[in-house]
Amino acid sequence: MNRDYRSAARRLTMAGLALVILTNVAHAYLDPGTGSYILQLLIGGLLGGLFAIGLFWKKSLAFIKRLFTGKKHDLTGK
Amino acid sequence: MTLPGSDAALPGSFRDPSGFVFRQNGVLFRLVTRSYQAEYDRLSGSGLYDALVESGLLVAHREVALPGLPEAYKVLQPELIPFISYPYEWCFSQLKDAARATLAIQMRALEFGMSLKDASAYNIQFRDDKPVLIDTLSFESYREGEPWIAYRQFCQHFLAPLALMSHTDVRLSQLLRVYVDGIPLDLASRLLPGRTRLSLALGAHIHLHAKSQERYADKAVKPGGRRMSKLAFQGIISSLESAVKSLNWNPAGTEWADYYDETNYSAAAFKEKERLVDDFLARVQPRLVWDLGANTGRFSRIASRRGILTIAFDIDPAAVERNYLDCRQNGEKHLLPLVLDLTNPSPGIGWQNRERMSFAERGPADVVLALALVHHLAIGNNLPLANVAEFLAQAGRHLIVEFMPKTDSQVQRLLATREDIFPNYTLEAFEAAFTERFEIREQARIADSLRTLYLMTRRED
Repeated sequence: MNRDYRSAARRLTMAGLALVILTNVAHAYLDPGTGSYILQLLIGGLLGGLFAIGLFWKKSLAFIKRLFTGKKHDLTGK
Repeated sequence: MTLPGSDAALPGSFRDPSGFVFRQNGVLFRLVTRSYQAEYDRLSGSGLYDALVESGLLVAHREVALPGLPEAYKVLQPELIPFISYPYEWCFSQLKDAARATLAIQMRALEFGMSLKDASAYNIQFRDDKPVLIDTLSFESYREGEPWIAYRQFCQHFLAPLALMSHTDVRLSQLLRVYVDGIPLDLASRLLPGRTRLSLALGAHIHLHAKSQERYADKAVKPGGRRMSKLAFQGIISSLESAVKSLNWNPAGTEWADYYDETNYSAAAFKEKERLVDDFLARVQPRLVWDLGANTGRFSRIASRRGILTIAFDIDPAAVERNYLDCRQNGEKHLLPLVLDLTNPSPGIGWQNRERMSFAERGPADVVLALALVHHLAIGNNLPLANVAEFLAQAGRHLIVEFMPKTDSQVQRLLATREDIFPNYTLEAFEAAFTERFEIREQARIADSLRTLYLMTRRED
């Protein structure tokens, strides 16, 4: 039982090591800082909302401008 | 042939396990490790690399085959940036443009499903008048739900120094020389005026950020906790962009920014000096010129317009700002203005003082221009002429130097507020001190002035 446990532990360790050695995934090397990480979660919602409003505003303006220039073009066309 | 391992990496290239930069037979390479394979393939395969290179935001590279590198997935030969400069040598607008370039790259990366995994100001260099990212391995796949890992670094390297330069004092950029990983946010928060707490962006990204860091110091992030939407992620980048964009600095009343308007010699003498500098440069045919005490770069441009890479150093952030803005407005090539105090030039900083190169390590230049400079060092800083000659001989192989006698009103200006303890500041003593280090090849009295211009070549021991 004890031997089985040791053998399983060894296999698990080897598998873990192999995973570390063989995996082709890049890991983050920069410490994001817990305070910086949490602050983003806190302010992200508000700033995301403002960003969405800004995008909507820009798109609306572009649409109105297109309508306006489109009409102008039609008038010139006539 | 010696093959590089990670111990062959250049001194500043050790943090990121994705790869490192090394030099072999004088050629610069970037090794991409196998652990970065998937991300590198995504950068190339997604079209992000091409998009960024095409828009001038990332240096181009070509993949090369170097045998005997078992840890390498790829070896890249990147486009060379001919002169490396550091954020504490940049003027306000250079740092601002570098910050905006970093955020533009991040927004672009998101469109391709990737994100910057670092936002170091040292990853940006100036190619002609434009900032460019030099670290090709700065990208990782964007993982929805996770905040921006480089947020803290961006605030410390860019936002905090820019806010301090804009709202407190432009000279605070020099804190970047002390803090190699950017200005600590608690320090920035203390130094910024109280009114900046009312700004949404600075209030959140600097002041609240500093408080949050203090509160959660040494606490780990709980895995599987709250997530962050892509919209929120974009909102933070967009807010940083607005914050940087709204920061400005308008130099006023600085000492030397209006120097050319206050010179004591005639337009004819000025033209004559320009002609002589041009003539001396034509004789030497340099590839790299350092203009020391360049002011707004009027004489630097004689070299840069000949296609010679010219670094225009000046101590006055206002003069460098004006020089850079002129470069940018006119799309000038081959000219890089930088802030530098010659009496205390940039040292080697960072780990073992080797991460960021000293001023001297980046030389010598082929030609040093030292126009209206010697009196500042000799009289303004009490330096014996022999020491000035020694310094200039270390800085360049050839020297175009101007001597202004004590009778010149600019020298008189320096002596106006102090006792004249400089009996050895004479033309004869100048020539004697400089011929110890240099051979005088040409000399000419600048007509209609009291000044003499020399072309000298360093004596090789």
